[in-house]
Amino acid sequence: MTRFLVTGALVLALAVPRSASAADCDTLNLGTIVYAQVGDTQSQLMKRLGRALRGNLAKPITLVWRTSPSCVNIDQIFLQTPIPAATVMQYVADATTDPAWSPMTQNLTCTVPTGGVIPDVANSALFNSSCPNGVTTPAHVRAVNGGTQAYVLAVPEASTQTAITFEEAYFVFGFGTAGMVTPWVDEAQMYIRALTTSTLLAWAANITVPGPKWKGAQQTGTNGSQLVVSMLAGSTAPQSAIGILGAEVYDNERSRLNVLAYRAKGQYAAYYPDSTATSRDKKNVRDGHYTVWSPTVWMDRISGTTPLNANARYIVDLLTSADGITPAPNFDMLATIAAVGLVPVCAMGVQRSFEGGPLSLFTPPQSCTCKFESHVDATTCASCGPAQPCTTGVCRAGYCEVQ
Amino acid sequence: MEIQTLLLALPLVFAVACGDDGSPANHDAPIVVDAGVDAPLDASCFTNPTTYNEIINACTTAQKIYKDSHPPLLNPDGSLPALP
Repeated sequence: MTRFLVTGALVLALAVPRSASAADCDTLNLGTIVYAQVGDTQSQLMKRLGRALRGNLAKPITLVWRTSPSCVNIDQIFLQTPIPAATVMQYVADATTDPAWSPMTQNLTCTVPTGGVIPDVANSALFNSSCPNGVTTPAHVRAVNGGTQAYVLAVPEASTQTAITFEEAYFVFGFGTAGMVTPWVDEAQMYIRALTTSTLLAWAANITVPGPKWKGAQQTGTNGSQLVVSMLAGSTAPQSAIGILGAEVYDNERSRLNVLAYRAKGQYAAYYPDSTATSRDKKNVRDGHYTVWSPTVWMDRISGTTPLNANARYIVDLLTSADGITPAPNFDMLATIAAVGLVPVCAMGVQRSFEGGPLSLFTPPQSCTCKFESHVDATTCASCGPAQPCTTGVCRAGYCEVQ
Repeated sequence: MEIQTLLLALPLVFAVACGDDGSPANHDAPIVVDAGVDAPLDASCFTNPTTYNEIINACTTAQKIYKDSHPPLLNPDGSLPALP
């Protein structure tokens, strides 16, 4: 127990940005600020998008965010609850301040100004209907689905386990030790998340174990995902250790963790989110072989149909639309989304309408599958351009897309 | 021993026969049989999936892992007992 506490404290110390010297965000000459409250699985996306937006010449924006569970974020914007004054927020430096910035660079911090701020943008990483207060979107909020987020069961690098079935997962997390599914029989080595997090709720729906019934060691706080990572990576019983994570969190920790292939109910084989254990193409998410995924939902506030904050809408549009954003950003948003392990809707071949629901075939109106594959793998699509028209399909972003 | 060998080989046979268009370049990826125990007998796949069950069992070039699973608490008919 002491070991867990020490490890947890160390993880928090490393994961949480320095805040001792944080100043009021309004006093730092950050230019146009958009405040966001997002799930902690979106941290990598916020970093990369935040950096890109600071250098977005046509519309520079400073994205200032904090992380909290998805259901909390839904409540926050649905109820228009301000983030309290003095709350520590995160942002990234611009190119002038830190030209050597990388996604590994520690975030900068500032504090919410006096009076607090209602988040301009809120995010959940699951169907909003999975949260107690998320079923009905109020008239003052617009919610749009963005990139698809896979969820994984991860084990320490030293574990020899490669796959888990729907039935096994049901017993592991629904019965704990009493489930007798070896080697996952030690509830202290089952690292789960809070009941309001998308990671737990998505898995709960997929393995039919309601959140309150879950067994395991719950990792809470604003950096719960990183706690799960650290507990798994530092486990002294790697064979029995298992944890739930967002795929993009796992993707950033592949040197320390392994992902388990998952066999859904009625499926003949188990599959990874990607076509192999080591690839990053999310092929099985896109074509329906890997079933544990949810949309990321991006919300901003509206009056009628008009956004209250045009800059917030700009960010939501970037996160949810394939192209046609005005003004056009000077960075490749699809590349940003692909880099953090999300799948844009325009690259999906399947869809579902509720958490854990059945999959059906999906054809995006304007496919970006070829472009997405070019970022995560070698695409087999034909190249095209003004002097090189497509034999079949539509030329978009240099590739012959299906439509 | 012979039955075990057959059980191991069957999914491999089915899977090798399973490809999107049968071209050599599109054959399924290598198969991993987890734990070296028996694997599911029905390892066929669907070439033009439309239903949920066909989608999740569609033919693919992705890596597959066949895992035999008999959780001790599984009901005799294969159904799941209620959660505690």
